[in-house]
Amino acid sequence: MPLDHRRLRGPEESQPPTLWAATAAEDDEEEGAGAAPRDPCALRPLFARAGLLSQAQGSAYVELGSGTKVLCAAWGPREAAEPGPGRLLCEFRRAPFAGRGARGRPGAAAEREAEREAAAALREALEPAVRLGRYPRARLAVSALLLQDGGSALAAAVSAAALALADAGVEMYDLAVGCALSRPPAPAASWMLQPAEPEERRAAARLTLALLPALNQVSAVLGGGRGGPPEDWAQALRLGLDGCHRQYPVLRQSLLRAAQRRDAAAAATTAASATSA
Amino acid sequence: MAPPARYCVPGERLCSTEEATAGSGTYTRHGFIFSSLAGCLERKKEDNEVEVYKSFRPSDIVLAKVISLGDAQSNYLLSTAENELGVVVARSEAGVQMVPISWCEMQCPRTHTKEFRKVARVQPQFLQT
Repeated sequence: MPLDHRRLRGPEESQPPTLWAATAAEDDEEEGAGAAPRDPCALRPLFARAGLLSQAQGSAYVELGSGTKVLCAAWGPREAAEPGPGRLLCEFRRAPFAGRGARGRPGAAAEREAEREAAAALREALEPAVRLGRYPRARLAVSALLLQDGGSALAAAVSAAALALADAGVEMYDLAVGCALSRPPAPAASWMLQPAEPEERRAAARLTLALLPALNQVSAVLGGGRGGPPEDWAQALRLGLDGCHRQYPVLRQSLLRAAQRRDAAAAATTAASATSA
Repeated sequence: MAPPARYCVPGERLCSTEEATAGSGTYTRHGFIFSSLAGCLERKKEDNEVEVYKSFRPSDIVLAKVISLGDAQSNYLLSTAENELGVVVARSEAGVQMVPISWCEMQCPRTHTKEFRKVARVQPQFLQT
């Protein structure tokens, strides 16, 4: 057979990668079968960076320690035909490679429905934070892309979307910080902050909170399930608000750094144009 | 040289309404001024009042920024509240194009009278030489 020079040929002998991935699956089973329970108030490490996309006016990337990665871009304001105060349009998309294991039929109605619900939840969480009254007859667009789902995806998306809007220069009352909780199905189990993906899948009740920390106002409470008595739900809310407050400094720092980087870049370009002109 | 710039994020409390008045990019609540934008904090010490007759006259050519698309009456809101915005070309009462001499004055080259305008400091990349 004539050699096809356009193709890269792999090695003669190859083994399937699942041979080495089998150990990860076993770890999951052990965790579920009652390993030492993790501290319910422990927050996973959070990484946030704003101002990374050049194509969008504002952008942010948030990564949680459990592996959740969300990339968010924001545009605005653009002139819209309909009268009245400004509108916030949110979009939430899951990348095809975001979840573990096989997907159902790609493009199925259930997936699109879930994405639409998540987009509506994002809008509910962000609308109280944005000063829409300052942008009459304008449209602000926010688009969140979930690159990897490691649990607490909606909460991470809320934080990323708020950062992206602030990075785009949209006037806001405050940053919205998202935090997720879940409760395993065991009878006397307690609520846990920021569940990982297997914990979230097996949970009996899930909750996502969005808080405006500086104004101390809750903008959205989403979720539900078979929980315990109402005091448990109140306890869960308090735990979630505490989690949001603890995440706020990291997000604030990332926004300050992005503003400083942007100013430094603007100063460098004006200096360069002044010397060349 | 200049003091270190203070950066702020939306929702950060800047000061009370007694110390300063809220400018652009801020809002007031409970007697305090909060920031609305993420960026460098600028404290302007000059008088907040602006006399329009000292800033512009009819048939001046002005560089302004659109800050809002306006309300139901569909009026655009323009702002000249930056160093780079303001009057670019203006004619004096004698009908001659004036020369800027400071950020708030322009002089007619024929009659040498000075008139008040809010002069724009146009960035060099926009000037054609």
